Amino acid sequence: MDLNMSMVAREASQGLGPGPSLGLNGLPRIAPAKATKKPKKAVLFFEVEILDAKTREKLCFLDKVEPHATIAEIKNLFTKTHPQWYPARQSLRLDPKGKSLKDEDILQKLPVGTTATLYFRDLGAQISWVTVFLTEYAGPLFIYLLFYFRVPFIYGHKYDFTSSRHSVVHLACICHSFHYVKRLLETLFVHRFSHGTMPLRNIFKNCTYYWGFAAWMAYYINHPLYTPPTYGAQQVKLALAIFVICQLGNFSIHMALRDLRPAGSKTRKIPYPTKNPFTWLFLLVSCPNYTYEVGSWIGFAIMTQCLPVALFSLVGFTQMTIWAKGKHRSYLKEFRDYPPLRMPIIPFLL
Amino acid sequence: MAARGRWPWLRPAASAPPRPSLRPLAAPGPGAVVSAQGERARAPDMAAAAAAAKGNGGGGARAGAGAGAGAAAGEAGGARKKKGPGPLATAYLVIYNVVMTAGWLVIAVGLVRAYLAKGSYHSLYYSIEKPLKFFQTGALLEILHCAVGIVPSSVVLTSFQVMSRVFLIWAVTHSVKEVQSEDSVLLFVIAWTITEIIRYSFYTFSLLNHLPYLIKWARYTLFIVLYPMGVSGELLTIYAALPFVRQAGLYSISLPNKYNFSFDYYAFLILIMISYIPIFPQLYFHMIHQRRKVLSHTEEHKKFE
Repeated sequence: MDLNMSMVAREASQGLGPGPSLGLNGLPRIAPAKATKKPKKAVLFFEVEILDAKTREKLCFLDKVEPHATIAEIKNLFTKTHPQWYPARQSLRLDPKGKSLKDEDILQKLPVGTTATLYFRDLGAQISWVTVFLTEYAGPLFIYLLFYFRVPFIYGHKYDFTSSRHSVVHLACICHSFHYVKRLLETLFVHRFSHGTMPLRNIFKNCTYYWGFAAWMAYYINHPLYTPPTYGAQQVKLALAIFVICQLGNFSIHMALRDLRPAGSKTRKIPYPTKNPFTWLFLLVSCPNYTYEVGSWIGFAIMTQCLPVALFSLVGFTQMTIWAKGKHRSYLKEFRDYPPLRMPIIPFLL
Repeated sequence: MAARGRWPWLRPAASAPPRPSLRPLAAPGPGAVVSAQGERARAPDMAAAAAAAKGNGGGGARAGAGAGAGAAAGEAGGARKKKGPGPLATAYLVIYNVVMTAGWLVIAVGLVRAYLAKGSYHSLYYSIEKPLKFFQTGALLEILHCAVGIVPSSVVLTSFQVMSRVFLIWAVTHSVKEVQSEDSVLLFVIAWTITEIIRYSFYTFSLLNHLPYLIKWARYTLFIVLYPMGVSGELLTIYAALPFVRQAGLYSISLPNKYNFSFDYYAFLILIMISYIPIFPQLYFHMIHQRRKVLSHTEEHKKFE
């Protein structure tokens, strides 16, 4: 819609045109039409103009926008005129260099006059979190099994489809597969995501990381020349215990976080320990799910006594620490009464 | 528009968050301090973004606020408000850059003297081996400068650049004695020497706010020849080292072993060589682009003088 249409629309609303639902030129207006049979109430409509944040080019003009319209609704209206920019790709902001407005923000509560100017930035092709998670977790599950069953062209031909004679190798396969099945199920049934989408290029980055490391670890653990742990069954039993405890812990935290937030909402609350002992780690740590995750991988590394697994744990730990610190910081900013004893990821230390 | 009065804090300029600059700080205003660019610039922001992304483990770029901030912190804010290092830091940096300039001059002089003494340009490496190792390894301090913040460059970028040099000096040339007599070594040593002398003197003069146009011109022009020259020398040296690495099983570990790990240094070196293919053109054309910006910018200034 351009300026001309809006002028037409304004004239039409003053009763000079063919009617409330049509512009002067007879085309339907893109604006929520109000029934005009009722006695005229002094409803103040907003006008919204959307400019490109970089070029300041006028992209769209919306008139007769309800004052309690949300940003999400405005994004939907914008998509009608520019269908290539679906709402997930749109970043609307009050200032071209400012922060993005949230979908739940209401127009009349924003610091704008009756003609609101919003700046648009294209976030690029988006992909849903669920899709990314499912892809990046299904890969390792499948890839590890390729190595476990020693499909041809990985190891020498005489090893094709043979099975390792070490029991720890079979146990490792069960643990690794269980871990990723758990992740897939959590993605489908447990997690409640704040954001619906992420940039498309992330899926390539993430999959390279997960699939690459899975292949690298699986290659050594399932290798015909694999050397079992130095301290034998004792080491494996201890490692298995650590692994299982941390998996249960990680799952408990995911459930606790899910219960904090009702379905479909994006509310944020401080997580607290529940009756489940695994959640008591919340007393000491902001992100115990990451703590347990690192613990699981350390357990797996001890179980397999495989350096690539230890390296994977280290890299994962580094990344999760960065995330945990960020999360911790945003908790502190958002909640004045945030428990002071808590550290981001490692109790008392980090 | 009356409603806006209730939110005086919402002003266009003030609400702009510091954005990581996309140009690697080549604009040499008087206060413009050390940027880890120049002929030696190994990673412009496109590759840096890739390197930074890789460096952050790529484990899902979920709204990891920390991840992006870490890499971008060093490149804070465009040319708007550069705080610059304090007086103590400036003094230290001047000393550092002077010492490095002097060091590379020593290497240059050493090369010339050895050439004159020997009468040929073969096997000159041995005469400058020690200062070369010392001063190139000393460049590791530059990573620290970025990390601490007295130099406004990205830590990731600088690490990448310095580590690649250090890798060539220690993990290839020093470790594989047989390549030390190769002519390719002289090729990259000369390229590095000229580049570093100009680069460190550039920083020195910039810090003292007295940058002669000649130095700036040299820095942004000579790379056109020196950069390909250096890359050729490096690649040829690595290539020459390959058979000896294979033979001696250098830095390689094979199965079976206690930690269920293997590493083939030979394959690793080949991967390194291949990685030059995407990286070198990016850096080279980035420098060409920088050159156009920097040198034309200065010419405009001269017009108005």
